[in-house]
Amino acid sequence: MNADERQEDGITTLTGDTFERMVLQGRGPIAVEFMSYSCSHCGAIEPILQQAAALLKPQETIFRVNIAVERELAQGFEILGTPTIVLFLDGTEIGRVEGPSPEISSLLAQLTQPFAH
Amino acid sequence: MTPILLYDGECQVCRTIAHWVEKAAISPSGAPGIVVRAIGQDPAAIRRLNPNLDIWEAYAAPHVLLADGSMKRAGYAVTEVFRCLPGTKWIADILAITVFGTHPFQAVVNAAYVVLADIRPLLGCSSCGRPSGWVRPLLWIVNQVKRLFGGGHTVAAAPHFTSLDHRRKSG
Repeated sequence: MNADERQEDGITTLTGDTFERMVLQGRGPIAVEFMSYSCSHCGAIEPILQQAAALLKPQETIFRVNIAVERELAQGFEILGTPTIVLFLDGTEIGRVEGPSPEISSLLAQLTQPFAH
Repeated sequence: MTPILLYDGECQVCRTIAHWVEKAAISPSGAPGIVVRAIGQDPAAIRRLNPNLDIWEAYAAPHVLLADGSMKRAGYAVTEVFRCLPGTKWIADILAITVFGTHPFQAVVNAAYVVLADIRPLLGCSSCGRPSGWVRPLLWIVNQVKRLFGGGHTVAAAPHFTSLDHRRKSG
């Protein structure tokens, strides 16, 4: 992990430089939360997302992208608001969750069901 | 250590107030009574300023970090800013007045802070999240008035979702 892949907690923060290697070239199910620290709903789901990341590891990896820093990346993925969780399987987007529920059971379902098909 | 005011640098209203504080903080000796600093995007940098403060909480309300390691937030941070500015210390002294064990003037400031925080979208903040329920009708009225009088620009809520009921509310 280099300086651009910062892990202040259970979820690694990606930058525009590391996104391609970690997500687009990644294998298996990956969830990326596009968020911003000034977004109150992002703050509300943060502890739940931390729980989900711990429960789903190592079957599924959860990353974070801060749209206040990575504006181009957010525009590239047409992120209309935060939080938005984009789900990737082997580097291809297979779904997204906009404004995810701050309940662990619901969030776990949203993070895993798209990969079950 | 000079007290530090942490503010949301993404919020236009907060930036305007912070710039005013920055100017007002200069004492006759030239030394600032308080340092004004945007929160930024680095959680570790906030932890280094005060280990008890995380970046989420920093964005939830303005904080003043004091030399003894303590913090003041929201309305209490406003009072602390008054205390640190050369021309407004008297206001902080008034706010500290105790009446029957309560601080009635501080309570007014706390309430005023809550109202100001809620109406930031009306004042031009486009990064303050979805407005509170009581502000939304006012925001709608402001936008209608602007349209009526030829203003093309409307006051937009921030692109944040508040989907406690799992519906997209704003975009």
